[in-house]
Amino acid sequence: MAFFLTYAWLIPALPLLGCALITFTPLRRSKLASGWTAIALMLCATVLAVGLLAATAQGLALRDGQVVPLAAAAGHGEATAPATGEGHGEATTPATGEGHGEAAPAEGHGTFAFPEPNVVQRFAWAPIGESVFAMGVYIDTPVAAMLAMVTITATCIHLFSLGYMAANPRQSRFFSFISLFTAAMLLMTMADNLLLFFMAWEVMGLCSYLLIGFLFERPQAYRAAVKAFITTRIGDVLMLLGLVYLYTQAGSLAFGTGAGEIFNPELLKRLGSESGFFGVSHATGIGLLLFAGTVGKSAQFPLHVWLPDAMEGPTPVSALIHAATMVSAGVFLIARTFPILQADNGTTLAAVTLIGAFTALFAATIAVAQYDIKRILAYSTLSQLGFMVAAIGLGGWVAGMFHLLTHAFFKALLFLGSGSIIHGMEATPQMKALHHQDEYAAQQTAQDIRNMGGLRTRMPWTFWTYTLGYLALAGIVPFAGFWSKDEILAHAFVGANWVVFGVLTLAAFLTAFYMTRQWRLVFFGEFRGGQPVVFQNPEPAPRTAHHSHADHHTHHDDHHDTHGHDDHHSNTGPNWQEHPSMIAALVVLASFAVTAGFFNLPFAIPGGHWLSSLWRQEAAPLNFIVAGVSLLVALGGIAAGWSLYGGAFAGAHDTDPLNRQAPALFRLLNEKYRIDELYAASFGRLTAILALAWAWMDHAILDGVVNSIGRLTLFIGQLNFIVDDTLLNDGPDALASGTLATGKRTRRLQTGKAQDYLSYVFGGAVILALVYLYVLK
Amino acid sequence: MNVPSYLAFSPDGVPWLTLLLLSTLAGVLLVGLAGWLRLPDRVVRLGVTAWMGVPLALAAVIWSRFNPGATAAGQGTVQLVELIPWIKAIHVDYFLGVDGLSLPLILLTVVMAPVAAIASWGVTDRPKAHFALLLVLEAAMLGYFMALDFFFFFIFWEFSLVPAFFLIQSWGRKNRRYAAFKFFIYTMAGSIGLLLLFQVLYLATRQAGLPTWNLIDLGRLGRSLPVEGVTGSLRDILFAYMEKVGITQTLGRFPLLYTSIAFWAIFVAFAIKLAVWPFHTWLPDAYAEAPTAGSILLSAVMSKMGAYGMLRIMLPLVPDAAQYFAPVLGGLALVGITAGAFGALANTGGDIKRLIGYTSINHMGYVMLAIAAVAALPDGATQDSRASALNGAMMQMVAHGLSTGALFFLAGALYTRTKSWELMDFGGLRVAAPTFAGVMGAVMFANLGLPGMAGFVGEFFIFRGAWATLPLFTNLAVIGLIVTALALLLMYQRIFLGPLNEDWQKIADLRPSELWTIMPLLALLLALGVYPMPILSLANATATQLVAVFQHVLS
Repeated sequence: MAFFLTYAWLIPALPLLGCALITFTPLRRSKLASGWTAIALMLCATVLAVGLLAATAQGLALRDGQVVPLAAAAGHGEATAPATGEGHGEATTPATGEGHGEAAPAEGHGTFAFPEPNVVQRFAWAPIGESVFAMGVYIDTPVAAMLAMVTITATCIHLFSLGYMAANPRQSRFFSFISLFTAAMLLMTMADNLLLFFMAWEVMGLCSYLLIGFLFERPQAYRAAVKAFITTRIGDVLMLLGLVYLYTQAGSLAFGTGAGEIFNPELLKRLGSESGFFGVSHATGIGLLLFAGTVGKSAQFPLHVWLPDAMEGPTPVSALIHAATMVSAGVFLIARTFPILQADNGTTLAAVTLIGAFTALFAATIAVAQYDIKRILAYSTLSQLGFMVAAIGLGGWVAGMFHLLTHAFFKALLFLGSGSIIHGMEATPQMKALHHQDEYAAQQTAQDIRNMGGLRTRMPWTFWTYTLGYLALAGIVPFAGFWSKDEILAHAFVGANWVVFGVLTLAAFLTAFYMTRQWRLVFFGEFRGGQPVVFQNPEPAPRTAHHSHADHHTHHDDHHDTHGHDDHHSNTGPNWQEHPSMIAALVVLASFAVTAGFFNLPFAIPGGHWLSSLWRQEAAPLNFIVAGVSLLVALGGIAAGWSLYGGAFAGAHDTDPLNRQAPALFRLLNEKYRIDELYAASFGRLTAILALAWAWMDHAILDGVVNSIGRLTLFIGQLNFIVDDTLLNDGPDALASGTLATGKRTRRLQTGKAQDYLSYVFGGAVILALVYLYVLK
Repeated sequence: MNVPSYLAFSPDGVPWLTLLLLSTLAGVLLVGLAGWLRLPDRVVRLGVTAWMGVPLALAAVIWSRFNPGATAAGQGTVQLVELIPWIKAIHVDYFLGVDGLSLPLILLTVVMAPVAAIASWGVTDRPKAHFALLLVLEAAMLGYFMALDFFFFFIFWEFSLVPAFFLIQSWGRKNRRYAAFKFFIYTMAGSIGLLLLFQVLYLATRQAGLPTWNLIDLGRLGRSLPVEGVTGSLRDILFAYMEKVGITQTLGRFPLLYTSIAFWAIFVAFAIKLAVWPFHTWLPDAYAEAPTAGSILLSAVMSKMGAYGMLRIMLPLVPDAAQYFAPVLGGLALVGITAGAFGALANTGGDIKRLIGYTSINHMGYVMLAIAAVAALPDGATQDSRASALNGAMMQMVAHGLSTGALFFLAGALYTRTKSWELMDFGGLRVAAPTFAGVMGAVMFANLGLPGMAGFVGEFFIFRGAWATLPLFTNLAVIGLIVTALALLLMYQRIFLGPLNEDWQKIADLRPSELWTIMPLLALLLALGVYPMPILSLANATATQLVAVFQHVLS
């Protein structure tokens, strides 16, 4: 066990090593070798992470290189931690509910106590004046749980990519990127301070950019990549300001409750009481700035616009980054900095709740009217992230984290399932024919749920695993999503936040509804891909059909094309193969989608409240009213979806039943409330205008002034020259030729004898020296 | 001579700094010799590049001899000092030395000079002159960073313009004449005030009993630190001289007025070099029109000369006026940050070099912001926060030098393949030149301050320091982080992404020589981004001592 604690830093180091090996060694030439290298290293990291979780679950901690048991008292530690060798200097003071507990919006669920760390290892990173900025790892039980979740899902997704990306010539690079991403996510999770947290967070943003734009020949892909990077960066720079603000106030960014660490009770009390800008308390200012990072990264309203577009990336990327890990990093951030957020009597947390709950409902309504299987899941992710954010805002720390963990498993499962479906769809003759004309249109067409149908029998593995994920997301007992979502609703209910409760319940209803719609249209009925609704590409690829054919092997899409190109038009039956590595990944994730909820069963049985007790937080008992309501709502959503879409879409070109009944509303939802267009017309245009204005100012005004001064000087020079050379020397009768000479000589002056200027300078210096000699005698 | 405690001579008695300076000039002589012997150009270009390893090695020796933590008598110890009386009549000394402010920039210079030399391998027009000028420019820049007597400082300052001027004027692009003149005249005109000021300071200190051009002593006097042979602060000395000359009768008896005049004389000279708004318009022209080597050295090192001048002269000599006008500097910095960012954005459909030039204005805006933040009124700032801003500025300068130099190098490499600087001419090159795309992508992300790369460390510590004194400007300055990122991403997109432009089907990928020129820069950027200690610990002691004076209200 000591091994797992001491060498916890290997967990991010292994995928990083994988990235380095795949990028810089000849391994990159072989897709299989690079893929298996990445997977093998991920497996090692998973073993380490699970071992670490086991060690922390036993209450073991590392102090001075020795393994000691942590004090058992949940959250009210008796300051047992002696200083570690690496300078975790201060013994942990009793982190308390007493100090700032009353300040939290008491929602009936007690208070949050920052868990005591199991491992803290720090080294001096940068000297700042008289002090030193330290960096390192900080592992407590929530971190250990996150690490286990991330490594497990990432390993599954690596495995899935082995089959899914097999046809892509850049598969090695793909593995290099997702390994780097995984390393960054793991490093962020175990960061011991907010700066390291932020650095890893930004590296994830980089990987997100690289992977969304992985198919970089497509304008849609690289545009989505830039959009994602810039939109999240808006949140990120605000978060950076939050870091700087906090650093200025606290003199440190290190996690921990000790003196000089940012969760120190006295510090928090001071942040909450003193006011900074605009009369807002420091804690509110810092909290909101940090939360801006969450809004960007977790794609909460109003910075949500990048996530649906991010679906341009290959599907495993959507599963890993844009469903399971990176987007939930935002939630992890507010969970991590929760003591600061709650230090100001609830203003910040109210804002957090508001944004979260609004996004949960807002995104769910959009998901109802989408046809693209991945975009439905993307909006669903937005909505579920809204649930988590709202949970944290309500003070339901455990509920939010719990939902984060369960959601990661079942949403990754759903995305991989959708990948498997798209993979199958793209192998149908219609899509392949389309692919020759326009590969982007072909892919979009293959993702359209109107063109699917009847896949239950064609892709049984995918169907059954997808169904488990679907039930988990819809919130059906006993699947994972039920338990965690129920805990969130219970928080709103017990805290008597009726508006939030109502909004979230409605969002839960819609979740069940749109997922049923999708599930029904994809897997049941007749296969409609024979006469598909073809995606009209507004910017078709500029190349000719001939080119497309020739380039086929060099820049290929993320689908598996096992056929030759000459015979596949005659291929009659679609190839509905399911790749073994893909099935394996789906099965592992499905088993977690079923069981992840059991980690925190709300019953007082052995193993019940396991996560709560692991994290040393107060356990929330089951509220039967809420559980009943949420189950009823989920079943209602399923029933509504099933009945509405039971007979719909006999063919792909039919109208959606909702569209028939409320065309205006459906259109609004289908166009995502036209927020993208609004942003383009406002912020987009404003930025372009500002750029032009600044360029004009440089060119016309500042350069104008500089050039005028230059011309004026030249003019005086000419005047001087005329007076000296022409009038005085040559006399008036030589005026004409003198003017000509003037032009000539001026031109010579202008063409640059810098030696002359320089000799003037040196001459001047010499003269000055002589002057001083003279002055000094 | 009685040596004060804050000067430390070379421990082994070897004049390493002079050797460093002479090594570059010896290179010039070798090029001359090669010309006389009519050696082929290939030998010259390889020889010069190899010879640049000598200054590099000497600088490494200097680094190893340097004790970064040393402080004495209220300032970072100036080390490896060489102090020889030169013109006794006017008390000019040959005075070289390094401290935590200059050594990082010396290291940057010796690293970037070979990169510029390699970037010039393709020069076919009078290559010997070209390489000789590169060495002269390196010598001038190194001399500037080492000289601690104003006489030599100013000579190196002005002299660095000459090789730069000729590089732009003779090997530049079609609008090179205009750019070279603008660059030369602008910088020279700006430093007139500086030159005059030091005449006055010399006379003033002469009246006070210690006639001197010594920048270290003047800096100590400015900060009211004791200097042997004279009492009082520079402000008092200057004021006393003004009284004596009688100027106070017309302008009034306000000591701050005279330090303020001094401040503006210094500021304008260095602000032009640092391209602080509104003195920045020479920069896009000069960077864009210069040959690749010129762009590299101009952006990587010469722009840092402005910031170094502010740190060496402006802050220590007239701290009271610097403190008084710090909000103005902060405002100019903010405008520059915004102007650079949007200027870059306006060029995303145009010239790649102008775009990079504008991002430089943006990045140097952060350095200016840091300098303003160091000087601004206390208002809750601690010595640590000021030191943080200054450390950040040093880091930002080094990081910007490495990354922008690399960007210009790659832009030049792109030009040699395509004969185009227009971003709209490219598209999809990543398909044909994947290594090029990967390397340029990494350099671009380093340039836009991605965490894990050195630029971020600089920006973070600048923001951390600036928040304490100039929170409003700091808040607004982050706009630059977003817009510059957008501009650079669009630049990258125009060149490398999308379907491959038919014209460049056969474009060559990065050659090994190019790859191995950029790789060390990238490795340094990454290493310093992950572990910035080597540079920060170099600067920290000196910076911490320098900022101490601003912890008090000075005027």
